[in-house]
Amino acid sequence: MTLFTKDGCIKCQRIKERFNLKELGIKVEKITPDDYKVLAHLAWHELVDLVEQGKLPILVLDDGSHLDHEVPIRRFLKQYAREVGQTEAA
Amino acid sequence: MTSLQNLKVTRLRPLGPDATDMALFVRSSDEDLQGWNRQRIVDALLRETTVDPGTAETIGMEVEDFVRQTKIKFVSAPLIRELVNAKLLEHGLEDIRRMHTRLGMPIYDVEQLILQQNKENANIPHGPEATNLTLAEHIKKEFAFLNVFDQDIGDAHMRGDLHLHDLGFIDRPYCSGQSLEYIKKYGLSLPNALSLAKPARHPEVLLAHMVKFAAALQSNFAGAIGWDAVNLFFAPYLVDLDDQRVKQLAQMLIFEFSQQAVARGGQAIFSDINLYWEVPKHFADVPAVGPGGQYVDNSDQAGRAEKPYLTYADFEKEAQRFLWALFEVYLEGDASGRPFFFPKPLVHITEKFFQTEGHREFLHLICQVAAEKGNTYFVFDRGGTAKVSECCRLSFKLEKSDLEDAKTPWRMRYTALQNVTINLPRLAYLAEGDNGRLMSLIKEKFELAVRAHLQKKAFIERLLEQGERGPLALLGMNRDGEAYLRLKRASYLVGMVGLNEMVQYHTGCELHETDEAIRFGLEVIAYMKTLADKFRAKHGMNFVLEQTPAESTAYRFAKLDVERYPDQAVKVVKGDLSRNEIYYTNSTLFNIGAEVNPIERVKLEGLFHPLIEAGAITHIWLGEKRPSAESLANFVEKTFRWTQNDQVAFSPEFTTCRSCGRTARGLRETCLYCQSTDVEGITRITGYFTKLSSWNKGKLGELRDRFRNEPYFPQGAASAQSAAA
Amino acid sequence: METSFLDWPGQVAAVIFLARCNFRCPFCHNHGLVLNPGDYPTVPWPEVRTRLTKFKGWVDGVVVSGGEPTLGPGLEDLILEIRSLGFKVKLDTNGSRPDVLKRLLKTGLLDHVAMDVKSTLNEACYARAAGRPGFLSRIMESLELLRCGGIPYTLRTTVVPGLHSEEDILELADQLTWASEWTLQNFHPENALDPDFRNIEPLSPDLFDELTLKAMRRFGRAA
Repeated sequence: MTLFTKDGCIKCQRIKERFNLKELGIKVEKITPDDYKVLAHLAWHELVDLVEQGKLPILVLDDGSHLDHEVPIRRFLKQYAREVGQTEAA
Repeated sequence: MTSLQNLKVTRLRPLGPDATDMALFVRSSDEDLQGWNRQRIVDALLRETTVDPGTAETIGMEVEDFVRQTKIKFVSAPLIRELVNAKLLEHGLEDIRRMHTRLGMPIYDVEQLILQQNKENANIPHGPEATNLTLAEHIKKEFAFLNVFDQDIGDAHMRGDLHLHDLGFIDRPYCSGQSLEYIKKYGLSLPNALSLAKPARHPEVLLAHMVKFAAALQSNFAGAIGWDAVNLFFAPYLVDLDDQRVKQLAQMLIFEFSQQAVARGGQAIFSDINLYWEVPKHFADVPAVGPGGQYVDNSDQAGRAEKPYLTYADFEKEAQRFLWALFEVYLEGDASGRPFFFPKPLVHITEKFFQTEGHREFLHLICQVAAEKGNTYFVFDRGGTAKVSECCRLSFKLEKSDLEDAKTPWRMRYTALQNVTINLPRLAYLAEGDNGRLMSLIKEKFELAVRAHLQKKAFIERLLEQGERGPLALLGMNRDGEAYLRLKRASYLVGMVGLNEMVQYHTGCELHETDEAIRFGLEVIAYMKTLADKFRAKHGMNFVLEQTPAESTAYRFAKLDVERYPDQAVKVVKGDLSRNEIYYTNSTLFNIGAEVNPIERVKLEGLFHPLIEAGAITHIWLGEKRPSAESLANFVEKTFRWTQNDQVAFSPEFTTCRSCGRTARGLRETCLYCQSTDVEGITRITGYFTKLSSWNKGKLGELRDRFRNEPYFPQGAASAQSAAA
Repeated sequence: METSFLDWPGQVAAVIFLARCNFRCPFCHNHGLVLNPGDYPTVPWPEVRTRLTKFKGWVDGVVVSGGEPTLGPGLEDLILEIRSLGFKVKLDTNGSRPDVLKRLLKTGLLDHVAMDVKSTLNEACYARAAGRPGFLSRIMESLELLRCGGIPYTLRTTVVPGLHSEEDILELADQLTWASEWTLQNFHPENALDPDFRNIEPLSPDLFDELTLKAMRRFGRAA
């Protein structure tokens, strides 16, 4: 799974702080103007327009589908973390 | 030694500083027979170059000596010029020579040209205007290389690293998008016109204005002339018109634009009309400009206080009636049943479209047109974005500031100044499998492209400086506080050819073959996009990627690469080498001949589209059989909802008979009706329909390969060899 | 081939071709599949299933065609499998196996049927058109099944000069007038099964359109 974030995105920050993403096996990709590989990755998942509309953070799941907006992502990760046996940060 | 006194010099009248002299002189080609005078050489050198007087005198004397020794009786001015140039070379004065050089074409080539057709642009019929165009383009091209672009860029173009489009139109911007509102409001008062026309009161007059304006515009642009929301902007003029008249108006519009062979060497005006079934959100509350160029009073007494004028939302019905009529005409085709080549109808499919009443029936109609004639372009505007489309794939995404302009729609004028295309496969040959090297080569070429744009921009700025009295008078026209050509908003296009072959050479697989190939292709295009963004920020110029239509470029690059990189190019180049009908796959498209079904084509090609901001398109080639309109409508809706694809067009093929004048589907060698072999094939070349006889070799090669969505087992017609397992 | 815009109007359909056929229509253009099925790659079901699942949503239904699908014993299972994936199913058939058709209709496995009617409904004509004699009664049975079958169906006839005269077609129109839908197709000689038929000129588009108009009027609805 991959989480797409951007500098200056507070919601992204909160998700990163709340969960140990590395342990959950989630890769964090930061979108920067110079990083074309991330952009290509976004294009592969058909997320370019979504990002342009400012809808970060975005979580891409293993089956290729995605979640955007903080609340759905947090809810999902909470559930997932529980299944995997991880505890959430306060 | 012959006395120079008896030497006769034939010369054309001298070029004076006043351009009128030059113009008159060229047309009348007067000849003056005069005696030899060395001073004229010196004067020319001093006038045209930066050489010092002493050297000029020396050169003059040296040439005089030479002429005296050869004992010629008659010498022409062009010959003298060449002798001077040779002397300048001898003196090592290459820069001076460049300033003094003569542009032109060998007499042999001129004869060939007048007698045979030029196939670079499939739109141009052979004729005197066309020949004029080619000759003029030739000179302007040379001029561009010498005086507009620097040596490196010129070389890059000649070598085939880059392609600078429409060099022969160096003194024009590339293509444009306009709004009918401009002539609705201001009437037709063009600079240099012999008469003025007040804003139209009736739709037929408005149409006449539109057609004239389009012709005038076409003389100032190298590429397409696009119009936004045509059916909507005509609507206020159509109130209370009966169906008959609306249909007639639709017929007139289409016939006018499909017949106008006036500009750019006798070509039809390359026109695009953007159409909407629904009233676009950004125009809904905008006061409508109506007959006489005035806002339309709100007839509803009660609401008048809050809403003094009717807005475009109030004219939805008329807009739809007109739109429907237009497509009925497209469905009928011309007198022979052929599809209309122009104007190209671009229907915008948006979320609002599906919420607007009557859309199902309308979608069926336009799919019927797509199935039978192929005209319809389906443009997908997702997520609330709006686009004004020009060429088959060039579009201007409307930013926030543009949407502000929507309140005064006559301001919505867009232009792309130039298109520079990069030869991608060649970079793969040079990179030899090294990713880092490949990316840095891309960057290198991109930088060259940017530089070329800067140089073109500088040149156009010089022309525009003189405003309405200058060489681009129409574009300098100012009726609303801004020059017609809004240079600050111009786009600068960077295109690409052969992504498929580049990926094929670099990774071993074509785009349609593996996921890795696609992902790599995406990285390449993503990289190009980041470069565009970077340069946009750096220069404050809107650099955007576009899918180059690449009509002759794909052929040219392929040919040059087979010459210069024979071992590598033959591994990936497409088409038939033996016939020299070779080509690279267009821009980011998948191999035309690959067995990729339409679903995958729209979905996978669509992955690239969001990265290509100036617009992209996927073509579905239909063969001979007519698909069901309903099935197409079904497919179009799914494409809108489930892909990122920007635009789709379905292209059927036709054979038209010169003997009996009838047209049938499919590409055939004999007429289905009368069995004559005097037939002509018609299909979409790149973004527009034309006759096969005018296609260049590369495109013919591509045609042979096209994978048509036909039943698995080919059912005859020579064209269907490519299908079948 | 996975997507067809013409095999099932209104749908985006995938088409599956099954080998072998019990007719030998001289004008058949799929004859490769009929006569030399070995020439064509057989796609194993798991692969077909994967491809179909990939396009779920895009592809609304699957057309089972061929050859003659009703010959194979595994047809019902195949259709069940396709349905279990969530697709609608349309069957193309020559109507020579009414027993199979009956069963499929009864178990409600089909959403649509397209049946070829090769010629006017008499023994001699049909034998000529189908390339095999003796099938007429079975054809009539199949037609009857479709008539009361309760599911949408289309009857199709390919117009071949030499096999069908205008009178023949009009007669057929009368014979089929009870049917809900009947379409005419024009003949393509290039790849015909019978080499002699490859030299036959098909009707020109105007003549074909004219005939269609007349036939449809007779049939009972305007073309």
